[in-house]
Amino acid sequence: MTPACLALDNVSRHFGGLKAVDKVNLIVQPGERRAVIGPNGAGKTTLFNVISGEVRASEGTIALFGDDVTKLAPHQRAVRGMARTFQITKLFPNLTVMENVLLACEAQDPRRFTMHRPMSSCVDLERRAEALLAQFGLGTFAHDTAKNLSYGVQRKLEVALSMAGRPRLLLLDEPMAGLSSGESESMLAILRNLDSAVAVLLIEHDMDIAFAFAERVTVLYQGRVLTDGHKDEVSANRTVQDIYLGSPIAE
Amino acid sequence: MEPRKKQAHVVSAFRRTVIIALVVAGATLTLAQTAERPPVKIGFMVPLSGANAQNGRDILNGFLLLLEETGYQAGGRKIELIVEDDEGIPAVGLTKARKLIERDGVHMMGGALLTSTGYALAPYIESQGIPMVYPVVSADDLTQRRRAKWIIRTGYTGSQPNHPFGEYAYNTLKLRTVATIALDYGFGWESVGGFRRTFEEQGGRITQSLWAPLSIHDFAPYLAQISRDVDAVYALFLGRTALQFVRQYEEYGLKGRVQLIGMGTTTDEHVLPAMGDEAIGVITALHYSGALENPANRKFAAAYRARYKRVPSYYSESMYTGGKWVLAAIDAVKGNVEDRNALLEGLRNARPTDLPRGPVVLDEYGNPIENIYVRRVERVNGVLQNTVIATLPNVSQFWKYNPAEYLKQPLYAR
Amino acid sequence: MDAANLPSNVLRGWRRPVFYALAVLLVVGPPFLSTYWVGLLTQMVILAILAMSLDILLGYTGLPSLGHAAFFGVAAYAVAVLATRYQLGFWTCVLGGIMIGTLCSAAIGLIVSHVRDVYFLMITLAIGMVLWGLSNRWIPMTGGDNGLAGIPRLETHAGLPFAGPIPFYYVTLLVFAVSAGIMALLVRSPFGLTLRGVRESESRMKSLGFNTWLHCYLSFVISGVFASVAGVMWAYYNGFVSPTYLDLTASSELFLMVTLGGPATLVGPVIGAGAIVLLKNVISAYTARWLLILGIVYIVAILGAPQGLWNLGRSKRT
Repeated sequence: MTPACLALDNVSRHFGGLKAVDKVNLIVQPGERRAVIGPNGAGKTTLFNVISGEVRASEGTIALFGDDVTKLAPHQRAVRGMARTFQITKLFPNLTVMENVLLACEAQDPRRFTMHRPMSSCVDLERRAEALLAQFGLGTFAHDTAKNLSYGVQRKLEVALSMAGRPRLLLLDEPMAGLSSGESESMLAILRNLDSAVAVLLIEHDMDIAFAFAERVTVLYQGRVLTDGHKDEVSANRTVQDIYLGSPIAE
Repeated sequence: MEPRKKQAHVVSAFRRTVIIALVVAGATLTLAQTAERPPVKIGFMVPLSGANAQNGRDILNGFLLLLEETGYQAGGRKIELIVEDDEGIPAVGLTKARKLIERDGVHMMGGALLTSTGYALAPYIESQGIPMVYPVVSADDLTQRRRAKWIIRTGYTGSQPNHPFGEYAYNTLKLRTVATIALDYGFGWESVGGFRRTFEEQGGRITQSLWAPLSIHDFAPYLAQISRDVDAVYALFLGRTALQFVRQYEEYGLKGRVQLIGMGTTTDEHVLPAMGDEAIGVITALHYSGALENPANRKFAAAYRARYKRVPSYYSESMYTGGKWVLAAIDAVKGNVEDRNALLEGLRNARPTDLPRGPVVLDEYGNPIENIYVRRVERVNGVLQNTVIATLPNVSQFWKYNPAEYLKQPLYAR
Repeated sequence: MDAANLPSNVLRGWRRPVFYALAVLLVVGPPFLSTYWVGLLTQMVILAILAMSLDILLGYTGLPSLGHAAFFGVAAYAVAVLATRYQLGFWTCVLGGIMIGTLCSAAIGLIVSHVRDVYFLMITLAIGMVLWGLSNRWIPMTGGDNGLAGIPRLETHAGLPFAGPIPFYYVTLLVFAVSAGIMALLVRSPFGLTLRGVRESESRMKSLGFNTWLHCYLSFVISGVFASVAGVMWAYYNGFVSPTYLDLTASSELFLMVTLGGPATLVGPVIGAGAIVLLKNVISAYTARWLLILGIVYIVAILGAPQGLWNLGRSKRT
């Protein structure tokens, strides 16, 4: 049996007395489309930061394709096939769209240390970058500076950057946040068209988007996994409905 | 220091106006008289900004006073003075020297304050073959082991006042044990080295030698280290560090318990007016004192005070006197300054008289043989001054030693 | 495509004629200038190498160093010590200077490559002060405040058949051209792009899989190499070394050259170095208030061209 793409075993993250992530167990299989939902403050983004390595786990272990990565730095996890997007767009604002993507393309290429010839001589990297831009419908913006793009285009670039390294696991942190409904549609189309071999873990505040994208859904509440299952089961779950309708859960 | 700085600016603005007026007046007169040879150009550089700006300004002021007294004229030619600020940074000094020589085409050079600048300039001056006068730079080796053909010194070497002062301290002041504290650079090492040599040859003992970095801001740790059982403390400071050391020396209760002696710069007139009663009684040695009682100095000090509203310091006197060598050399070649070898000869053989500091002749190494004065700070008519208590005549940079023997020994170091 | 891949479209608009005019001036100008101006031009060219080296760090990588003059100074001191205390040959002195300066930056880079922004500024400042202190206090080796004089002239030390300000200038220009060429290639290379990536968003770089520490470290060392090259030339140019080469004033003036000229352009720092050398020497020849005037010029320049002279008219960086 092939190892799980991502396996979290009793992972916690405490900030002082606050348990932002509390004993979370989570398994994502290769090629799976998974959503993590939960109300604001449920610990979704912290969970993401713990998975990607920006924040260290206080306890528990994280395995990536069977290897323990709990103590590895973000870039070391990235090299092992993990990529992520940020809820607050993190691009290279003063570089062109093309340069943004080229950077992403060379991240795991030994030529990132090449100093003696210009970038433009790395024809295959440029080809890859162009293909990626085409895939995300960014071709026409190639020479624009990233910070001058509209928000919707920036979000697409955000996803494009994360896909450039050909990851096997992609973490998407609310990719639709702040998008108009039209932009949301086109983003959803892009996400659906991602290589089916790539496992995708999507954080979403909006249930409709999560359910439109994922087969399986994990619900996070106050740092804990409330429930985990097929989207139909989860959507039928009373407690989940209560949370989203805002009614208090019995303490 | 601050108010005095401001005053210096006012003075300098006034002075500039006067100079311009003088130059214009002089130029009109000469033009009317003759279509003569073009002026002799003299390049001059001292720090006019940065930490040593006041000392630099004093040096410049002395020179300007002399030039004004002589009507900017020597050897039958007008004199044009071109002044540059070397900022007290050797590399800047070198750039400015290049500018003066290569661009302005000066015939002679004068100036430099810091030893580092002096050493930095020397190879360049040698390569260009332009006669230059160092009025202040006191690094021993410039006229000893690393002599430069084209440079003469009209000031002194760091060890020069200290050789006789060491003997004086033992024989006259009856000191037996001395602790020294000095700024940690060439000037400090050479001065203390000279004092130590003669003082110990007489039978005295230096019990402690402390070295303070140039950037020192608080003497407390050093004063705490000084033994209270010595006969005297020898101190070498200048500018801000002199003010602070003398004040803290009193605050730490050392004044009155241990006699303070030192190098002349510690109580020189560039800092003395800013000192208070804490300075009274300090005994130092130097080749000049603003309070020197002779006709030439009375005249100079009065003119200087009238012109700049300040007491002359040894820096002020340095280029007033050094400038006399410059003028004498131009006179000696009858204004034919284009003959640089003759000009250099004229410089080396000049014998100016009536100098504020007393009689001076240059030795064959290009360094003055001159009187060294032992001075004690006193309050006279409400003003602090360096009263001369002993004159040690005709002191050479080699003191009583044979120059050849002397030069075989290493330079004084820490 | 091609133009867009250049770091900042170096030669667009008015920059093209200015660039070529400057290049022509540097190459054919000196024989027509007095030796004084050749000397100033030599200074500008040496400091331009130094300013470009800081630009790699400050402009491209976004690491603001306030101690960069230290490596310049260490290399200059190495030349002075090797040439005057040990009387070694030309190539030993040159390579020794570059190597010692580089090793110094390689060692210090290990310490500083972990920190960013104002902390980087402070730690480089502190280390610069330590090295300055060393040049002042390690007296048996450095001569303390007096510095070391007596470095032979480059032309005679290298055994060149010609000597004088103009040959020295052209040797310097050659060193400058080679250094500038290498640095220009470097910033256009895949590695150069990663440096700009670190400047723009280090956390994004990490999540893409870059070991940003290593990139910062390499940037620090490379910039140390070229600072050392400039230091070696400076030692030969002046014929002496003194602690002022590596003091805070030197480092901050260098910082000013880059910011005034235009960071992350390489050409900008060259112009900044030229402008500052020119202003200092020209203005101070006419008035004693030159520091005040210089200050006003800087303020006007920073207000009028906040991105630096070479970026005049370009959109602002955020």
